[in-house]
Amino acid sequence: MVASPALQVSGLTRSFGGLPALAGVDLELRPGEVVGLLGPNGSGKTTLINVVSGVYRPTSGRVELLGHDATGQAPERLVRLGLNRTFQTPRPFRPLTVLENVQVALRHGRDAAQSPEEILELCGLGGQGGLPAESLNSSQQKRLDLARALATAPEVLLVDELAAGMRHDELDGAAELLRQLAAAGRALLVVEHLMGFVRQVTDRVVVLNAGTTIFAGSLEEASQDPHVVEVFLGA
Amino acid sequence: MLWLFALIAGVLFGLYYGLAALGLNLIFGVMRMVNLAHGDVIMLGGFAAVLLFDHFGVNPLITVLLVIPPSLLVGYLTYYLLGRRVQRSRDPEMMSLVMFFGVSQVIEAVAVIAFGNNEASITSAVFGTRPFSIAGQGVPGAWLVSAGVGLVALVLLFLYLYRTSLGRATRAIMSSPDEARAVGVNPDRISALTFGIGVGLAAIAGILSLFMIGGTTPSEGVDLTVTAFAVIVLGGLGSPMGTFLGGIVFGLALMFTQTYAPVWSGFAPFAILLVIMLLRPTGLLGRTVRSV
Repeated sequence: MVASPALQVSGLTRSFGGLPALAGVDLELRPGEVVGLLGPNGSGKTTLINVVSGVYRPTSGRVELLGHDATGQAPERLVRLGLNRTFQTPRPFRPLTVLENVQVALRHGRDAAQSPEEILELCGLGGQGGLPAESLNSSQQKRLDLARALATAPEVLLVDELAAGMRHDELDGAAELLRQLAAAGRALLVVEHLMGFVRQVTDRVVVLNAGTTIFAGSLEEASQDPHVVEVFLGA
Repeated sequence: MLWLFALIAGVLFGLYYGLAALGLNLIFGVMRMVNLAHGDVIMLGGFAAVLLFDHFGVNPLITVLLVIPPSLLVGYLTYYLLGRRVQRSRDPEMMSLVMFFGVSQVIEAVAVIAFGNNEASITSAVFGTRPFSIAGQGVPGAWLVSAGVGLVALVLLFLYLYRTSLGRATRAIMSSPDEARAVGVNPDRISALTFGIGVGLAAIAGILSLFMIGGTTPSEGVDLTVTAFAVIVLGGLGSPMGTFLGGIVFGLALMFTQTYAPVWSGFAPFAILLVIMLLRPTGLLGRTVRSV
């Protein structure tokens, strides 16, 4: 039996000043599944994450999260319903320590089974809880952003360019972590430009262009789809 | 040894000014709103102490405790009735200036109707302390009591901000409001509580102002707001701990000029403010709160 979707996005649109950034996007995420969200710059990937996670209200369309209507809900409400996201450019709570950053998320999210120290360890920040968050480099800030999101015990996690800026030797660890999260039953939507990372992590991909879905299927199929090739290579 | 008097009196006044400005900075740090009615709340705190003392003989130190629950309630209501709408506007800083300027005018007008224009005060003998002398200069014991209350408030606020989960969430919102919401922090809840704490701190400062400044009148709110604003800019916008440092610098500047060049005492603290703004635009302990 196929599990019912953890996240279902139907006909989602979002316009800015009359210009559509999303124009009727459909998307489905099932528990334990990792879906890659691909597309050239400006195709609407981060806008989709922002609309689904409550940063922007949709112009029209519907977002269903774990069977609840989550359309246009505030971010803090969505966290309680079981959705969280990471940011393309993470902004840690700079005056707080690394541990305090995670503690805030633990206190205000859903009940996580792990301690803040365990979550930091999982994200590769073990032993660094006492450091001021502002002392972290960009790769560590991304890990902290992920740790904060995990501390709210999400069942649906939207990951916005986690691998960007990571060193080559860190990528395998990050990919392994995302696969572990999916194996534990979480549904992940991963925005990424690094195709090797996408290949390691995702089960299937959705390709956006100009705010619309132009492809949904496996990465191998996507790489042979003439429309996708044209969008990415301009040929 | 006059310098010793100026130093001690400056620190005592600095603790008072730090307390008087703290609520303004907390509210700005969490909500990015400038509460121009802050000085009027200080004034109301002073009148509350005078009324309770005159009619019921309540010691002002007891009034310090009594004003906390109604202040929290007023803060909650003010946030939900006014602050939240301002915060959701396109330019909350500018809108808050307009909104709370109006609130300030209303409070002042109502206070004039209720209390008249005369200065209200309480004798500093109420604390049972005696004045003492430093370098031949008399220092009222009430200054020590007031500074002590300011210090206790600082410690309690520090413990709240750095040792409680609500305090951590408050600092998280001050740092990155969008990210705080993204980890489940409810900004309305934190903002309403912070507004209540800000009002409470202002009301307490108003009670102490009876002994540091000598009395209160309905029209002093604007001056108090300007002074409080100077102190938080000195210490750093959005930095509660910087506010006390700013208060100390302000108090020292005031008392040294009052001691050695009294004619300049109204000018020097603000001159120091200008110098610090030129050398360190974020204030003594502040971070950049807006980028251009």
